[in-house]
Amino acid sequence: MHIPDGVLPAAVCGAGYAASVPVAWYSLRKINQEQNPRENIPKAAILTAAFFVVSWIHIPVPPTSVHLVLNGLLGAVLGYYAFPAILIGLFFQAVMFQHGGLTTLGVNAIIMGVPALLSYHIFRMRNIGGEADRIKTGIFGFFAGLSSIALSTVLFLVILIYFIPAGLDVEVERSAIYTLALAHVPLMFIEGTFTAMVTIFLQRVRPLLLARS
Amino acid sequence: MRFGIDQYPYLDSPLHRWDPRLKLIGLMVLIFAFSFVGSLYLLPAMVLVTAIVYVISRLPVSFMLTRLRYPSIFLLVVVLLLPFLSGETVVASIGPLDIHREGLVAVLLIAIRFLCILTVGLVMFGTGPFLTTLKAMRALGLPAILTDMALLAFRYLHEIGDYLHRMETAMKLRGFRGRRFSWRGLKVLAWLGGSILVRSYERSEWVYKAMIVRGYGHARPPEDEFRADTTDILALLGIILVAAGFVVGDILL
Repeated sequence: MHIPDGVLPAAVCGAGYAASVPVAWYSLRKINQEQNPRENIPKAAILTAAFFVVSWIHIPVPPTSVHLVLNGLLGAVLGYYAFPAILIGLFFQAVMFQHGGLTTLGVNAIIMGVPALLSYHIFRMRNIGGEADRIKTGIFGFFAGLSSIALSTVLFLVILIYFIPAGLDVEVERSAIYTLALAHVPLMFIEGTFTAMVTIFLQRVRPLLLARS
Repeated sequence: MRFGIDQYPYLDSPLHRWDPRLKLIGLMVLIFAFSFVGSLYLLPAMVLVTAIVYVISRLPVSFMLTRLRYPSIFLLVVVLLLPFLSGETVVASIGPLDIHREGLVAVLLIAIRFLCILTVGLVMFGTGPFLTTLKAMRALGLPAILTDMALLAFRYLHEIGDYLHRMETAMKLRGFRGRRFSWRGLKVLAWLGGSILVRSYERSEWVYKAMIVRGYGHARPPEDEFRADTTDILALLGIILVAAGFVVGDILL
């Protein structure tokens, strides 16, 4: 779900960078407001690498297999570190695997990062009305995972189809967005379920990892 | 597991010797100028400039070809779909499907821009150690949180990747067959992901303590390790001029 180089007009790529700067600034500001932001940098960095690796796990969806985006889980675990983590992850993917792009880094960061921050706030709601138990963690984990991938999918399709420099018919554009979004619905449920399962696992094994939320 | 973008940092070429900060600025400007191009007439010049940059870098052609393998799948999808879906002017028909002129033009633009940007990107990161490039980004003013996170993430990426590989092998040896979708299989994979996160978190606590012992957060910031000479600055001006040529050319054509 990364837009590659060369597909979007330069103005849209520039707008992507312009939009990601205030989001990154806001995230860094929130991080700097923490008691000891420096302490959490190694943790967030190594978890960034871990998320990057976990996203390589292939889920069999016959006749093929898919890999998960995990931006919802990233938001749930890393909080405001999620946006810098996604920026770094996308940069690594563009440089090491030529997946995504350098000119589209800003656009892709918005597509992935803003939903991750949204997921962070959704997942935090599990603490409303007392300490979260396993069921609440699972339910909010599911919605954090599902909503982030749903929003990312819609953003991705809208940007790709509206800004791809070709005279697509409006009707074709609209039906393409609807069809592709619908095709992603099963994946959204898989991503939501996977996020719920991982958050429940983390709460049982290492609840400190979820302490940020 | 090795990703090898900086497989050839030891080669001796003007691009390897170029100050990494100026190389980043110059080649990023060129990449953005390429993404600005919307005129077919500029495509040959774009290919020529890319080829010159790649030849000067002395990177082997095989390096570029291996790197093109994965993104080519996207290119293939674009090439196959756009001529049929986009535009109105029919130039040919295959059975009930019409091929449109506007779609073909869009495919050509996207494909050439994509390949040129990708090649220049390979030169940008392939002509020096990746860690030096990250340090150059910090020297250019990227926030310390971002560069520290990137440096550490890069340092542990290979290790955690190897760890995933070992765990997947262990799961297979214990009889896990993940070929068909099942909720139980998904749960096993979720626990695999969770285990990697837990182990990485525990590792990060040790890493942080080790960093504190070595003075992390209290050490004096390192002296600027990069030096740009006149040739470096002239090279930057030259590449900016070329990039400006593409932008002006596209506006005029």
